[in-house]
Amino acid sequence: MSIDIKHIAKLSRLRIEDEKLEKFEKDMENIVAMVDKLPEISDELTLDASNPMKLREDKAVPNKFTRDELIANAPKVQAGCLVVPKTVE
Amino acid sequence: MKLYEKTAFELSQMLKNKKCSAVELLGDVNERINNVEDKVGAYVTLNESAKSQAEAVDKAIADGREIHPLAGIPIGIKDNISTKGLRTTCSSKMLENYVPPFNATVAQKVADAGMVITGKMNMDEFAMGSSTETSYMHLTHNPHDTDCVPGGSSGGSAAAVAAGEAIVTLGSDTGGSIRQPAALCGVVGLKPTYGSVSRYGLVAFASSLDQIGPMGKSVKDVAMMQSLISGHDAMDATSKDIAYPDLLANLTDSAKGLKIGVPKEYFGEGIDDEEKQSVYNAIKLLEANGASIKEISLPSTEYAINTYYIIASAEASSNLARFDGVKYGYRAKDYDGLTDMYEKTRSEGFGDEVKRRIMLGTFVLSSGFYDAYYKKAKLVQRKISQEFSEAFSECDIIATPTVPSRAFKIGENIGDPLKMYYSDVCTVTVNIAGLPAVSMPCGKSSYKNMPLGMQFIADKFKEQTLLNAANAYENLVGGFDVISKAL
Repeated sequence: MSIDIKHIAKLSRLRIEDEKLEKFEKDMENIVAMVDKLPEISDELTLDASNPMKLREDKAVPNKFTRDELIANAPKVQAGCLVVPKTVE
Repeated sequence: MKLYEKTAFELSQMLKNKKCSAVELLGDVNERINNVEDKVGAYVTLNESAKSQAEAVDKAIADGREIHPLAGIPIGIKDNISTKGLRTTCSSKMLENYVPPFNATVAQKVADAGMVITGKMNMDEFAMGSSTETSYMHLTHNPHDTDCVPGGSSGGSAAAVAAGEAIVTLGSDTGGSIRQPAALCGVVGLKPTYGSVSRYGLVAFASSLDQIGPMGKSVKDVAMMQSLISGHDAMDATSKDIAYPDLLANLTDSAKGLKIGVPKEYFGEGIDDEEKQSVYNAIKLLEANGASIKEISLPSTEYAINTYYIIASAEASSNLARFDGVKYGYRAKDYDGLTDMYEKTRSEGFGDEVKRRIMLGTFVLSSGFYDAYYKKAKLVQRKISQEFSEAFSECDIIATPTVPSRAFKIGENIGDPLKMYYSDVCTVTVNIAGLPAVSMPCGKSSYKNMPLGMQFIADKFKEQTLLNAANAYENLVGGFDVISKAL
């Protein structure tokens, strides 16, 4: 199967440099050819009843982090807020 | 014998009986790090507050306070497990400067027990790889032959144990990332049952397959560690709320009555003869000491790698969507608008293997392909699980090689993703079925005496059965000779 790497990259919010495009395309085609080999199993998917997910009670708890701790890792901060490019014209 | 050559179990007794102090022990491990780390490259970051952690343990002992059996034991933690105030990079440019504001549940348990964190261990970027060569930071070398890879993705964790640069370590295992490097470095590595160890604070790769687990020099060491880190945690929705046994207290060492299943699919083409032979020899030794052997069949094994790469990549493409340069991590320098910022940040911040997996995941989940790949893989996953369940109705454990061959050379497979993926052929089924499995050394290769590895697999939450069997083998061979003499 031929894979449109540029399209898949766009969906993944990635860009592949032109000089690497061919290698990525070839690798991906080989990988897809590998994963393609799966048997037909005519059955429906059901949830695994033996290990059900257990969600926490939906209850408000005090935040254990301070604002400063949380924004300490942010790439760009101004006046205690995260800075991002303009999203609304 | 130097302190760094001893097991956590032995050191625990020594600390308790005041035969050594936690500061002395850390000093010995630090000296070893100074001597060999430039040849091994196991660490990404060393923990500067390790000494004060060791001093606190010595003070507690001097004051006569009750301490945890693992208090004062130096531990290295894989760099995808969040440690408060200690850089956690996932060996990626994306998180090069990320310092978590919180501890992963396992890191908190390690700290609460008074273990001394030596530092953060190198790994394949975002745990995607089988050789630690995809790390953005640096290469890690196999302590038994520094021209070879340590395996991966928990390569730093395995190499540190074999090099004596930590007494025990934590790794994570999505498709073999604890067991494969444990085998290649000649240490003991446990991948616990899915749901037995909290994943809270583990940077997610494939959430339905990921599990944190311990590595060490002996079965006793991983038993102690597993009992420390397992248990229900409300912060992980897949954490199982059951009673977890004290694995060390209940550890037995006899092979008598043990029923071992040997699946023929794991001894076929593509597995090196010396690897097969060493596992057969180990099984024969167990049989001679009271175990019974039964040949079994797990016919869907041939689809395991395919199934694994579909499920793992699909989940990775979703999990890694969070790295967008907004709240934490790397952000590209120049960009023109939001989409441009996302694309440049992700293209510059991720390495090629991570990009490949994200794109494979995006492809298999994309419109028109979902049924052909993801849904089919999930059905095969169920079939693989059913085959294991049936097998465990007639045996206690299943024995297989851990890896197709001894450690390969650095650079040997990195250009060929499929060849690299194949090195997980014996381990991925365990993650697909959510089972516990342990890898332990079982003999040496004819090439430079490199370690070979054997894997035991047990049914879900049967860690005790699993480790009892491994302990029986360890006792029969008189313990594992873990520390490399090649450094």
